[in-house]
Amino acid sequence: MKKNILYLIAASLCLLFLSGCDKFLDTQSYTKKNDGNFPVNETDAYQMVTGIYAMMNMNLADPEEDPFFVFDIASDDRLGGGSQSNIGAQGVDRLMNAYLSWMEPLWQCRYAGIYRANYALENIDRIEKWSNDTNKNQLLCEIYFFRAWYYFNLAQIFNGVPMPLKTEPENLPRSSADEVYAQIASDLKKSIEFGPSLRYPKFGDGHVSKWTAEGMMARVWLFYTGFYGKSELPLAEGGSISKAQVVTWLEDCINNSGYGLVSDQRNLWPYTNPYTAPDYPYAKDNKLEWVTDENIENMFAVKMGNKGDYAGGYGGQIHHNRIVEFYNLRKTTEAAFPFSVQGYSNGPVCEKLWTDWAADPDYEGDYRRVGSICDRLVEIPDYIGDTKKEVENTDLFAKKYAGVEAWNEDHSSRYLSYGYYYGSENNRQKGLTQSLVWLRFADVLLMHSELTDGKVIYNGKSGLNAVRQRANLPDISYSLAALKKERRYELCFEAIRWNDLRRWGDVSEIVKNQEGNVIKNEAATGVYKFTVDFMQRYNETQGGFFKIPESQISQTEGVLEQNPGWGDGTNWTKGDLPYKFK
Amino acid sequence: MQKHPLILTAACIFMLAAACPIAASAAATESPAPQAGTVVQVRGVVLDNSGQPVIGAGVVEVGTSSNGTLTGNDGSFSLTVKKGSSLEISCIGYETITVKPVEGERLTVYLNEDTEVLDEVVVMGYGTQRKKLVTGSTVNVTGEKLAAVNAVDAFGALQSQAAGVTIVQNSGQPGESYKMTIRGMGTAGSTTPLYVVDGVPGGDIAALSPNDIESIDVLKDAASSAIYGARAANGVVLVTTKKGKAGKIRVTFDGYYGWQNPNTNGVTPLNAKQYMEINDLAYETQGASKYDWAALIPKQYAQIQAGTWNGTNWLEETTVHNAPIHNESINILGGSDVSRFAIGFSNFGQTGTLGYPATPQFDRKTFRMNSDYSLIRKNGRDILKFGENITFTMNNRHGLSIGGIYDNNIRTLLAMSPLLPAYNDEGGWYEYKDIQADKWDFSAEMANPLAQIYYTRKNRYNKGYRLQSNFFLEFVPIKGLTFRSSAGWQYYHGESRNYVPVYELSTKTSNPLDDVTQSQSYSTRWSWENTVNWVKSFGNHNIDLLIGMSLEKWGYGNSLRVTNSKSLFPDSFDHAYISNTKEINPSFTSVSGSPSEEGGLSSIFGRLNYNWNETYLLSLVLRRDGSSNFGTGFRVGYFPSISAGWVITNEPFMASVNKDFLSFLKLRASWGQNGNCEIGTFQYLATVSLEAPYYFNDKNTPSIGAYPDILPNPEITWETSEQTDFGFDARFFRSRLGLSFDWYNKMTKDWLVVAPIPLSYGTGAPYINGGDIRNRGYEILLTWDDMVNRDFSYGISATFSHNKNVVTRIANGEGILHGPENAIAQNTAELYRVEVGYPIGYFWGYEMEGIIQDEADLQDYLARNCSGDPANSLQGASIQPGDVKFVDVNGNGKVDKDTSDKTMIGDPNPDYTVGLTFHMEYKGFDFSMNGYGSFGQQVAKSYRQFSDHPDDNYCTDVYTKYWTPEHPNNRYPRFTHGKHVNQSELSRVWIEDADFFKISRISLGYDLKRAMSFLPLAKCRVYVSAQNMFTFTKYSGMDPEVGFGNNTTWASGIDNGYYPSSNSWQVGVNITF
Repeated sequence: MKKNILYLIAASLCLLFLSGCDKFLDTQSYTKKNDGNFPVNETDAYQMVTGIYAMMNMNLADPEEDPFFVFDIASDDRLGGGSQSNIGAQGVDRLMNAYLSWMEPLWQCRYAGIYRANYALENIDRIEKWSNDTNKNQLLCEIYFFRAWYYFNLAQIFNGVPMPLKTEPENLPRSSADEVYAQIASDLKKSIEFGPSLRYPKFGDGHVSKWTAEGMMARVWLFYTGFYGKSELPLAEGGSISKAQVVTWLEDCINNSGYGLVSDQRNLWPYTNPYTAPDYPYAKDNKLEWVTDENIENMFAVKMGNKGDYAGGYGGQIHHNRIVEFYNLRKTTEAAFPFSVQGYSNGPVCEKLWTDWAADPDYEGDYRRVGSICDRLVEIPDYIGDTKKEVENTDLFAKKYAGVEAWNEDHSSRYLSYGYYYGSENNRQKGLTQSLVWLRFADVLLMHSELTDGKVIYNGKSGLNAVRQRANLPDISYSLAALKKERRYELCFEAIRWNDLRRWGDVSEIVKNQEGNVIKNEAATGVYKFTVDFMQRYNETQGGFFKIPESQISQTEGVLEQNPGWGDGTNWTKGDLPYKFK
Repeated sequence: MQKHPLILTAACIFMLAAACPIAASAAATESPAPQAGTVVQVRGVVLDNSGQPVIGAGVVEVGTSSNGTLTGNDGSFSLTVKKGSSLEISCIGYETITVKPVEGERLTVYLNEDTEVLDEVVVMGYGTQRKKLVTGSTVNVTGEKLAAVNAVDAFGALQSQAAGVTIVQNSGQPGESYKMTIRGMGTAGSTTPLYVVDGVPGGDIAALSPNDIESIDVLKDAASSAIYGARAANGVVLVTTKKGKAGKIRVTFDGYYGWQNPNTNGVTPLNAKQYMEINDLAYETQGASKYDWAALIPKQYAQIQAGTWNGTNWLEETTVHNAPIHNESINILGGSDVSRFAIGFSNFGQTGTLGYPATPQFDRKTFRMNSDYSLIRKNGRDILKFGENITFTMNNRHGLSIGGIYDNNIRTLLAMSPLLPAYNDEGGWYEYKDIQADKWDFSAEMANPLAQIYYTRKNRYNKGYRLQSNFFLEFVPIKGLTFRSSAGWQYYHGESRNYVPVYELSTKTSNPLDDVTQSQSYSTRWSWENTVNWVKSFGNHNIDLLIGMSLEKWGYGNSLRVTNSKSLFPDSFDHAYISNTKEINPSFTSVSGSPSEEGGLSSIFGRLNYNWNETYLLSLVLRRDGSSNFGTGFRVGYFPSISAGWVITNEPFMASVNKDFLSFLKLRASWGQNGNCEIGTFQYLATVSLEAPYYFNDKNTPSIGAYPDILPNPEITWETSEQTDFGFDARFFRSRLGLSFDWYNKMTKDWLVVAPIPLSYGTGAPYINGGDIRNRGYEILLTWDDMVNRDFSYGISATFSHNKNVVTRIANGEGILHGPENAIAQNTAELYRVEVGYPIGYFWGYEMEGIIQDEADLQDYLARNCSGDPANSLQGASIQPGDVKFVDVNGNGKVDKDTSDKTMIGDPNPDYTVGLTFHMEYKGFDFSMNGYGSFGQQVAKSYRQFSDHPDDNYCTDVYTKYWTPEHPNNRYPRFTHGKHVNQSELSRVWIEDADFFKISRISLGYDLKRAMSFLPLAKCRVYVSAQNMFTFTKYSGMDPEVGFGNNTTWASGIDNGYYPSSNSWQVGVNITF
């Protein structure tokens, strides 16, 4: 008996000893770093900043909820289009509710970008050794730029939003618009101040720079003062940014950045690429030559890669431009060449833009009209389209963001995208690698004119006339009306127009451009009309602010408040389009 | 319930050899010299009821104390006795009988199994226990019963046989895995129970052949499974493989071959004419012009009009009639008193019933070897024993892509327009070139699904090789004290390869570059367990004490996958290797390689089983687990349990109760806590992912981007399941009627869940201990076994269980875990969710009252739900007869467009499950039947994509179930083309009751040996069986048993076009040599 108990005790002690060691359970990740070992050197710093850029692509997994698409479609120059199922696009166009948690991808991706910027700001000083100060300052310039940029997107779409400035999670209520814009201004100011004065492209292809921040500052200033009726842009640390200060920065940018205008505006767009152009009479006859996605005019763009995938959100992988996919025509057929990459026919161009442009004596002979818009009945008359699916079709197709095909070497078959020649897949989706440009030098010139009433600044001309000159148009004396027209034509389909109208207070007048537009819905002819009066919606939403994703309202236990105008009754899209569909 | 043959036999031999002085001495000494003429030599054989020899039975001449012998390995004996005397034949586990030999005849004695003498033995964690002493709630299913149903694997075999255990196959495609839940879904995370194969946790039971399994024991309550602590919250399944026995070598062969057909439940897609008719109808109701068929499909329209072509029935085209299923198993068992072995080999193959021309195929070969050796043996007792169990499995499977609403071959086959031909005039696939040549211009969404299956799914295989092994050493220095050390090792190797050639089926469906993919992965895990077990009796006090430790580690391994294009051998799968692709290009080359996820578990545990005179039973368990999934300081959990039992029939005051009526009654009660630690690794750590590339200028070369990918939760720790169980086991009518009952209340606390956080936090949400759920229910097991006479016996077993599942807490802002949108069709809102106060994964949407029949009905509907104003309806001003009556649940006089009128419209969790088995044996014939059913659950079903694919095909039920003015109906709304509120607002329209009862097997067999005794075999049973032949259900889809949950762990019952189960006729043999 005693022996048994001794055995038992001895055995138990052995067993306890064997399993007593907690080290046995320590594991480590072989594929990820952690905040203990990251960031420690300059390479880590670059990776940290690259991660902030990457979030722009992730939003493209849901293009209907990318800010570019929203700004572009919400304007008077494009309709929602697509098919019956593209309710996201149609909702944007009409300021009506499409889904319960509409705009969630936008909200997620923009805040993810902000989180990464906050993380970078909190951690960049952990890196003690830099090869030189310029590198660190350039990175700080980029980090501050992006935090400002992502907040600017949110503020233009949602008005005041919760404003985390550190990575520690906190359920914050919405800051006021003034507070958000003050932070945006402060961050952009820091970006300008940190950014080394290196001429393009010395600071790095595809990177943002001091110059981008200067240009963006002007856009923020113009929008804030215009939309909210203010004279200056406040700063978070106190004080404000005056008009004069913005002009100084713009002139710094125009004179010192190394950016400029390319010779022919059409050369910015992929239909002029050397693989498509020889078979596209318009490009061939006008001797157009693509300047590629990286050129002296594009100052800030979301860049694409040849590696395609479709996953958005954190850790997603998508590197092609799905906005282009959504804008593309619906059928792949030679009759539609070169715009024969199959898509979803979103964003038909409003007739009014086409006719206004032609009718304006100041724009007689403007090559940009046909350079920007394809009249299907003239350019691709044999293309019938997908008459069973297309809705709100105006037969006008925007050329700037459009997938284009190219013939193969022996002209026996077509590649689904010119991108194939640049190393992408021959794929109607993943082959769409056109950069999504957020800021062009032409815009900088026009903003300068707007802020200085047409002061001479570039090649002996005002910004306005420099841009006109490039379009082979004669000089014109400055007036706000002339500037507005120039911005409409030069920057059409570039996600500029909607916010221009909002800051100019022109929405009520301009919205009439859409009503009554002749359209075809699944081949049935009708006219475009609003289910609920657009200006009613615009006023209800206090100036065209969109719905905060419902999921976020409920997730924050009511701390986050919904925008006005987005309650019950705005869900027209859950029914059908207002024309023939009963 | 059958006995446990291994234990039984071992006990027989042991007890007789050591404890039965009569038999032992009889065997050891010569009989006294008999007087000539008065003695006879009696020869005979002792068999059990199944005809198996009883080894080591004692045969004693009645009236003597020393004249006896033991039966040999074949059950035979020979004994010289006085003329006219009787023989008493006895063996532990059998009823003792007395027979009078007839002179000159060879005696055949059948022994009835005696359930009173030796109770069934069940396997528990780290040991075994006699069933009558068990205080927890367990199910024991013997290997014979598992093998008898000809299931593919242990899951399928268990399906009808275990109360409280729900087993649903993820789909009917061969090789598909099962989802097993014990006593309801206890968490929003992983609900998989812990599988323990031959004592080694973490094994794969699908890798075993049912013929290799000795028994399966399912530990359902907390007390039974507490010994596995940290991983036992979802229950534990113990699998014991067959072991060798001392005695004659026994060879068995089991084989069957069957012909399968799909269970499509009458689902038939529309043919061309019907399709055009319905499409026109749908279009017409919109006030639009009809399709101009003659212009859209000129060639086919002429054929349809001429009656020479009916359109393509894609479902029929893809059906494989009489698809084969077969299994061959050989088992060899044998051994001596110092070594025993069991060897098994099985070969299983199953062909899918849907999926031509890439017909799914699953093949599995298993090889198993178990043996044990007595290293030191003294006085007939093993002092030191060594043994091992090794199973090696090879799998090979390929099949269709199934699942959600996209990339689901079955859905595409059901929904594809019949107007598209499958073959062109040359007999080849109808492809884009044919579409162009024929000027087929109906829809750009349509592409030949058969050709697509052929190109994308034909050239592929996935092979898996799994080795499961353990080696043990058992040291018994003195009787009752056992040290056991067991080391387990598992190795898994997976390999896959596929090739997709260049094809062009439509403008949208094409593959301009071929794809070659090769991938390999392997992983290993090891475990080491040491236990000491002390069994001792002090008078009526019986003690069984176990103390042990265990270490486990897994994840040593890695995976590598390469995809590339431009094979040097186009269109050849045999040559589709990465070395045959020479061009490296970032747009189509992809390479990935990563280590297996690592983890470990370190534990100590103890158990005390005590009973007084087998009447008062008590069991205490405590386990301490440390898991690598949690951060330092949060790793260790303690899992206690207590259970008690009272065998009332042992009480003196029960002596007056007739034992023939109530032979056994035991009350049980248990309480315990278990854990769940199944989460991703490193949830406690602020990890930084390097998966955020950005292409600054060079579109081929990404810059590496990094970001913190999770808000770490350093305090993440165990999920705890706390369960109380009350039950009783009773036997009536001389033990023929068995009744077991259990009531349980299982509370899972602090479940591990990724609860959504506000997106403004900016990065991924971690796992949190974020919710509670309660499962409460009861289980009844009823058995009746009767042997009317030696020739005729029969038995029935019925299980009935009820479970109610309710979520009681979710620790995020709104108390909801949302399901995704677009679950059954594009442009539909969230369909299922987890919410406090509701069952897990319930269906959420609008209640509906039916369909508006006519104008009067419309006004009535509006008056009751919309304050009489059409503007308050979901359909708005255009509401009309044929529309859905969405219900104003909150009574505010309108059907709200936000969520406030949405409510629970279905629950995929069954309320009741039943299992039924019946068997009957008569003179060598046997007949058996198995069935199971589930009741009270709903399924959400849509085979069509009404919004973005308005031209998707319907099934023939449109003629009986869709509302039209001519044929009013209350099931589905009027036809509309494309998106309409009637469809896009999810309501009960899409939810169906899916109650079903399936007769999973009917089998009739005969032992040829009975008719042809000259056969040189011990047994030769031939049988024919009908598998899965009858399903009783009102469900309109192909198969009511829908395991698919849209890849959400807590969801189920989503029928998007579900690969249905198959039925089959099978013929087979069971031969014992």
